[in-house]
Amino acid sequence: MKNERDALKIRIIFVSVIFVLFYGVIFSRAFQLQIIEGESLEEKAGRQHVRTHTVPSKRGAILDRNLNELAVSLEVDSIFAHPREMEDNSIDKVSVAKILSEVLPVKKSILSKSLSSKKGFVWLKRQLDLGAEDRTTLSGLKGIGMVKEGRRFYPSDSLAANLMGFTGIDSNGLEGIELHFDEDLKGTPIVMKADKDAKGNLLLFEDLEESVQGMDLVLTIDKNIQYIAEKALKDAVDKFEAVAGTVIVMEPKSGEILAMATLPTFNPNEFSEHSPYEWRNRAVTDSFEPGSTMKAFLLASVLEDGLFDTDDILYCENGKYDVYDRTFHDTKEHGWLSVGNIIKNSSNIGAIKMSEKLGRRRFHSYLKDFGFGYKTGIGLPGESKGVMAQGKKWSEIKRNTISFGQGISVTSIQLVTAISAIANGGYLMEPRIVKELRTSSGIVASKYNPLVRRRVISEETSKEVTEVLKSVVAPGGTGVRASEGLGFAVAGKTGTAQKVDPEKGGYSKDNFLVSFLGFAPADDPRLAIFVMLDEPKTGVAGGIAAAPVFREIVKETLPYLGVFPEGLPSEEVLGEATPRFVKRDTVDGSRSVKKADSGTVDATSTDTVPDFTGKTMRSALLLARVRSMDIDIEGSGRAVSQSLVAGSKIGDGNVTVVFH
Amino acid sequence: MIHARNTDRLLIISTLILVVVGVVMVYSTSYVVATKRFGSEYFFVKKQLIFAAAGIMLFIVSAKIPYRLYRHLAYPILIFAILLLLLIFVPTLSHEAGGARRWIKIMGFTFQPSEFAKFAVIIFLAYSLEAKQSVIKDFYAGFLPNIIIPGVVIALIMSEPDFGTAVTLTILVYVMNFAGGVKFRYLGGLTLAVLPVLYLVVTNFGYMMNRITVFLDPWKDPSGAGFQMVQSFLAFGSGGLSGVGLGEGKQKLFFLPEAHTDFIFSIIGEEMGLIGAGITIALYLAFFISGTRIAMRAKDLFGTYLALGLTLMISLQALVNMAVVMGVVPPKGLTLPFISYGGTSLLVSLFAVGIILNVCIEGNEH
Repeated sequence: MKNERDALKIRIIFVSVIFVLFYGVIFSRAFQLQIIEGESLEEKAGRQHVRTHTVPSKRGAILDRNLNELAVSLEVDSIFAHPREMEDNSIDKVSVAKILSEVLPVKKSILSKSLSSKKGFVWLKRQLDLGAEDRTTLSGLKGIGMVKEGRRFYPSDSLAANLMGFTGIDSNGLEGIELHFDEDLKGTPIVMKADKDAKGNLLLFEDLEESVQGMDLVLTIDKNIQYIAEKALKDAVDKFEAVAGTVIVMEPKSGEILAMATLPTFNPNEFSEHSPYEWRNRAVTDSFEPGSTMKAFLLASVLEDGLFDTDDILYCENGKYDVYDRTFHDTKEHGWLSVGNIIKNSSNIGAIKMSEKLGRRRFHSYLKDFGFGYKTGIGLPGESKGVMAQGKKWSEIKRNTISFGQGISVTSIQLVTAISAIANGGYLMEPRIVKELRTSSGIVASKYNPLVRRRVISEETSKEVTEVLKSVVAPGGTGVRASEGLGFAVAGKTGTAQKVDPEKGGYSKDNFLVSFLGFAPADDPRLAIFVMLDEPKTGVAGGIAAAPVFREIVKETLPYLGVFPEGLPSEEVLGEATPRFVKRDTVDGSRSVKKADSGTVDATSTDTVPDFTGKTMRSALLLARVRSMDIDIEGSGRAVSQSLVAGSKIGDGNVTVVFH
Repeated sequence: MIHARNTDRLLIISTLILVVVGVVMVYSTSYVVATKRFGSEYFFVKKQLIFAAAGIMLFIVSAKIPYRLYRHLAYPILIFAILLLLLIFVPTLSHEAGGARRWIKIMGFTFQPSEFAKFAVIIFLAYSLEAKQSVIKDFYAGFLPNIIIPGVVIALIMSEPDFGTAVTLTILVYVMNFAGGVKFRYLGGLTLAVLPVLYLVVTNFGYMMNRITVFLDPWKDPSGAGFQMVQSFLAFGSGGLSGVGLGEGKQKLFFLPEAHTDFIFSIIGEEMGLIGAGITIALYLAFFISGTRIAMRAKDLFGTYLALGLTLMISLQALVNMAVVMGVVPPKGLTLPFISYGGTSLLVSLFAVGIILNVCIEGNEH
């Protein structure tokens, strides 16, 4: 029996050892899974658990140079549903759809369709303003959620629309500045980590990573000058029935763009209702044969090379000049003309003779230095560099035609940048559209300082060219309408270019592109302006259709900048005369104007209240200022009424002018 | 009263710790599912606590029942077990889940006859091996009855089908017969005879074959058939040495279906790391060692075989469950004794421990 007992013990121990071995195997396997393969398995697990959910941070605003808002992001509500979760919790989708249809501007059938999708997440309606009551209703619905999203809003509608561009529904820039500076405006998205279960439901929001709100973009644009430019352009396009038009206003000394207007335009708040044709920013995307405005640069080139003096005379062949197999014509027959008068009268033959002496290589080199044939570096999407062949490849004919602006294709921004170089003493600037980037708290993060790209001509040449360009707008010049009744000395050059007929080839007899390129005041330029009207039906000459636009803009803008015509109080007399004399009244939103320091009243002013109606805000302020009267301003746009009728005596009380 | 000096402290301590680990882990693994399905995170853990309390009382009671009583009831218990297994085939009483009929429902109470059948087989074998001790080497008297009678029960369990229980019970029968002195020749011969049949069975039952192919390479189809295994591996991997922390595991978020039952050990690995998994393994090992020690010190052969059988029953199930969730053996559908959520299993296990303890107490008195 003892033996039997021992045998049993041995058998049990044998079984036990095998079992213990198995426990060892189990532990080794745990060691293998957890320690040896642990890291790679953990990584695989992490990939299926953590899903990041990104929400764009608030997009920065776009401001004009005086920090007026041109584009802002508003916080609005977006409504979504979790259809699969609703399915799992057997929520009555029909009744939910019914409640939703009462709150959201979406049809019940569409809502039902969205709710019956098999997805984990669907948008029901994005970006709308909900009342507090509606919000409560929605938050009571299971499986329905709301998030705050930024919606882009352009408070001035189409103002500078082609320049600004627009954003898509996810607040990503699609065109214009919105596109080019998308990264800066967007900031870094808010990244939320979420645990995900096997059904794809987001469970616990873990942590919010640091996100950076989008930067505010301060443009060089001045909202008021932009408005003036757009108004003047629109008036001309309407009056002369042009198909399109462009105006650029640049500060010649800094290269900063004060206004960039194009027509046709669109309302970026509802961009999808407009066509890409209307979205286009022609000022930088379109190139064209400029016509006679080119002669200004030809003149600068020959003077800089010392080939002529402005008094030197050339024979203009009485309007008909044969070169090789081609005959060139002038619109008016000229005999002998001085170099200055060739420009003043815009003689093609005279220009050809000047270019003959300059030679194609030097001519090309100067045009290149003026920035033609290259992108200006303005930093706007879709900029064209125009078309200019290498000088050594120019035929003699080409050199001849380029001298009066044919056979070369340029952009509006190139022209205004080039004329700025003549206006500012010879420096080609890089055009600036953005002044600075600011953080959401208003700290300037980066500044775009003026940048001289190169010196093209000397101060002396610049002065000489200016004198000639002044004569162009003087009586007898082609651009006289650019200065009529202005009271400022201005300088400029007209352009009237035949357009290439796309069907027949060659130049069209009916379609023209008319332009005016100039600056003001001529002797201390504050504004360089390019005006272009495409295919006007009437007034088919740069001097007729485009020059008055230039005049309008100068007339409105210079006083706004504190530059007054001779005979009106100058900056010195008025003391603190800057655009910032307008103060925003923070309480009621109206604006009041500080009484001018000086009581000086000039000859043209009277002691009666003027008629403000129809005047822009700036003109009204100017009118008030010269009379040393205070006005309160309400609204914006054009003056529609005033509290004291025109002609009544100016009293002590303020006059309120209502704008609309 | 149970006197400490007469009892095996290791057995009681390891058992109680495992039960506590079970309650904690059931809460940790089920609170998300419970909230989602029943709106209360405590839904499962509350039930588990109630069963644990009931189980401990059952354990105290069974520890006081003289184990020789079962020897007298061996046949009635066996017949009753077989009847219960047959009841499963009565449609009005059977309760189906997951394509298998493993439960019977009587007066709103679901019960798993195979749990009871394991007891019956162990008691029968303990009785039979003791009674036939003198002729145990004999083929007809010693070998056949000890194989055929349990074989009938196993066949019934197999037909539910409950492959996992059938396999563990088969191993158990083999080991008990071996320990009881049945000739190894016969047992080995039987194995060789059964293997071809087993092969045919496995290859003919599609789901078994699937389980085996998935077992061989779960990564082949990680989002389909291999999903569960892969998710279990990922759980262990995420745990590393010290785990992600109790309650912090991600794999129970519906990645591991039924994380609170069959795959609870995976979450122990994830949340408590290799240290936690190792301690759990050590607790089962402690339980096994103290159980076999008691078996060897029992005052009679019936006590030895009974204690050994019950210890093996629990240990085997633990081993197989852990082996399955770590991909060492093909999936079986077995819970982890003491730890997995489930009332019947916990009650049965604690009752079994009570019996082992009684064997121990009586052995010490003697």
